[in-house]
Amino acid sequence: MSVAVRIIPKLDIKGPNLVKGVHLEGLRVLGKPEVFAKYYYEQGADELFYQDVVASLYGRNSLQEIISKTAKEIFIPLTVGGGIRTIEDISNLLRAGADKVSINTAAIENPGLITEASNIFGASTIVVSIEAIKQADGRYFAFTDNGRNSTGKEILSWAKEAELLGAGEIVITLVDSEGTGKGFDLEIIKKISNSLSIPLVVHGGVGNNIHVYDLLSYVPVSGIAISSMFHYNTIHHLRDLGGYEAEGNIDFLKSNRSLSFIQNTSIGQLKDYLIEKNVNCRKHERKN
Amino acid sequence: MSFQRSNIEKQVQNIPTEVKWCKKCVISNQRPRIIFDSNGICSGCHNNEFKENGIDWKKREAELVELLDQHRKNDGSWDVIVPSSGGKDSAYVAHQLRYKYGMNPLTVTWSPLMYTDIGRENFESAINAGFTNILCTPNGKFQRKLARLCFEELGDAFHVFVLGQLSFPFQMAARLGVKLVMYGENGEAEYAGDPIYADKPFKPSEEWVTQHFKGVTFRDLLDFGLKNKDYLSKDDYCESDLNFYQPPTLEELNKAGIKGMHFYSYYHKWRPQENYYYCVEHTGFKPNPERSEGTYSKYASLDDKFDGFHYYLRFIKFGLGRCMEDAAHEIRDGHITREEGIALMKRYEGEFPKKYFKEFLEYLDISEEHFWNVVDTWRAPHLWEKKNGEWVLKQPIL
Amino acid sequence: MLTVESMKEKIKIAIIDYNMSNIFSIKNAIDLLGFESLVTSDKKEILMADGAILPGVGSFPEAMKHLYDRKLINPIESFISSGKPFLGICLGFQLMFEESNEFENTMGLGIFNGKVKNFQDISSEIKVPHVGWNFVSKNNTQSNYKDPLPKLKNKEHFYFVHSCYVDPTEEDIVYTTTEYSGNRFTSSVISNNIFGFQFHPEKSGPEGIGLLNEIFKK
Repeated sequence: MSVAVRIIPKLDIKGPNLVKGVHLEGLRVLGKPEVFAKYYYEQGADELFYQDVVASLYGRNSLQEIISKTAKEIFIPLTVGGGIRTIEDISNLLRAGADKVSINTAAIENPGLITEASNIFGASTIVVSIEAIKQADGRYFAFTDNGRNSTGKEILSWAKEAELLGAGEIVITLVDSEGTGKGFDLEIIKKISNSLSIPLVVHGGVGNNIHVYDLLSYVPVSGIAISSMFHYNTIHHLRDLGGYEAEGNIDFLKSNRSLSFIQNTSIGQLKDYLIEKNVNCRKHERKN
Repeated sequence: MSFQRSNIEKQVQNIPTEVKWCKKCVISNQRPRIIFDSNGICSGCHNNEFKENGIDWKKREAELVELLDQHRKNDGSWDVIVPSSGGKDSAYVAHQLRYKYGMNPLTVTWSPLMYTDIGRENFESAINAGFTNILCTPNGKFQRKLARLCFEELGDAFHVFVLGQLSFPFQMAARLGVKLVMYGENGEAEYAGDPIYADKPFKPSEEWVTQHFKGVTFRDLLDFGLKNKDYLSKDDYCESDLNFYQPPTLEELNKAGIKGMHFYSYYHKWRPQENYYYCVEHTGFKPNPERSEGTYSKYASLDDKFDGFHYYLRFIKFGLGRCMEDAAHEIRDGHITREEGIALMKRYEGEFPKKYFKEFLEYLDISEEHFWNVVDTWRAPHLWEKKNGEWVLKQPIL
Repeated sequence: MLTVESMKEKIKIAIIDYNMSNIFSIKNAIDLLGFESLVTSDKKEILMADGAILPGVGSFPEAMKHLYDRKLINPIESFISSGKPFLGICLGFQLMFEESNEFENTMGLGIFNGKVKNFQDISSEIKVPHVGWNFVSKNNTQSNYKDPLPKLKNKEHFYFVHSCYVDPTEEDIVYTTTEYSGNRFTSSVISNNIFGFQFHPEKSGPEGIGLLNEIFKK
């Protein structure tokens, strides 16, 4: 496959801050999203995911400003999600500078939106994101609101349904491993990948380079979205994390700690490792 | 026949009739022992302000080290008891005491009324993080009747759990010769209760053993039940079954050298959400695989199937549900804004915990009809009214 | 980043606005390069510019409808005749061909001969859209060929996102090809002053921005 695998930093944004949870729970502040974004661009990220983590609660996405800021200096694709409900929401985000939008709750509550949006904006613009949590019987169900509310929908059939409705891409977040650095459930990823004709991006659980390589050796996914492994590394490399506003809890940042279960790896280091292993990935040009 | 309750629950009698919300967080003035200042800011927020700016935490840690040095045993025997549920707060405290400060903690657990699967899992993970644990499960037949008694006469079945949770660790401490009992948080300080106790390293034995929880002692409660309830009789228990619902006497505690209830939160800035992160990292803690009913949170108070009814009854009694408390705390800790707290409350506050309702009724051996009859006797008239056949709050959150 | 600061008037680049695109990114890229960007659907402004870009994301039929409704067909054709640099990107690139069968059969601008086709018509096994970073191979490697974009490295990665591809009739306009799912397709064309990229230079990092500079600088 000549298309390079996309290495995509995922930024969870709450108000002015970049936050990072575990199992999509917790609002630990790690810094300012625009600072992280710029750093990732310079380090060779192939794409960026911005997720407004509080948007679903209010039914609106508030990332316009940071999207515009990002679009001025960062020239790689930007996918934005969180609280997107209507065609107008999508239109506003695209005009602000997003390239793709990711929808979860709205897609489940109103599947017709996928089709409508796909027709208006092009399928490749519409990403359906799925928060997957394993149930007692071994099946994975789709959740909304950061893994809080069960939809009762089994993910394999929902993903396929989303594809048939017109989604251009599926992003799966494995909530059980998200933020833990424990790696992926490769079997479920393989099952989903085999069933889809549209690109699949996987998120949730990368703790070291080997996890990424193991996944790619087993299932040829289109992209891997990574949060903890990059963010916890970034906070130690950026001298200026952007300053703090009154909002958010920065106790962790002040403590200067690292996470014991995550390998400190930058995008550049991950890509070097993958290229060495003959994985087709875009060679980065590092700027220091 | 409709249920009539007694007046042994004293808390409900001193609540202001006009509901006010703290201007900073979202807690209401209906919470027993809370104090609002003239600017409409609650004592919880004031305590938090003090926590942020008024405390030299380095100094506090030095005090902790001094305290621990006094108690640390070099012969390998247990030197501190950590009352434990397997939840994030107790696991955090136990782990810190052992791995950071070199103590030999014994974790002591008073069983929840009914373990959830995730609660059981976390309980075991906490043990596997390296701690000997003593679990006491009280006489089930007797406990259920006590729970029913508490539900009917105190508006909280969970109260029977609370009695044991406070008493059992001290019973163990006295019997095993461990002088130090370290709780995580000082509930009164962290949850906007009486500020007199707010900034003390421990609550002295003489103060808390004589405290009337909800206005009544265990003995008085039991006597009331034996006299007035046909489902409860002396045949349901033997004297030793009562041992752990009450703390040791003051004489016993003094003889054992147990000063009182120590609080880890006095020595380290208490941030429950950071305890969550800590335990995920160090003790194998897992959050609830789905949202806890009545709130938005997934990491707090997960171990008891009947937890939800404690919060639901509190919502009925004081208009103060689980979501309000979680939100208030997270607002003070800076995780969410007040606006967000209100939006969350609009979504989840007062949600009925239907998942384990049937089991709860079976546990108490009551019918659904009786459940609602009891619940209705606890609706504070200044809080509730019936509109179109439905109970609604007269003064809901703005 | 490369910047061009001109002592005299800045080079004006018209970005044709027909309600079918994320204009912001292209505008930002052009601005960053030191050009003066002009997002417009006005005939006069387009014809007056020193360079023009036809961007596009979405469906072919919808795009053509918008171009008709805004009376942009004529300005585009006139601009191209002027000899000033004109760049079509992604859907904008596809529109320059004769027709497309995306959703329904639609006529394009017909600037180039050839049709726009769907990857899925080759085989339903091919996953669409083709999305991600893929590399371009220069088509003409003959020694006497004067490369119009010498700074573009062979096998450079660019960002693609499309379900349809162009099939030009004339081989000599094909500048680069790219392989996707075992099929080689035309990823860019150049013919005199007309440039067409299937990929998004404004989304391809510094390498992509550099290409824009090469095309429009004087």
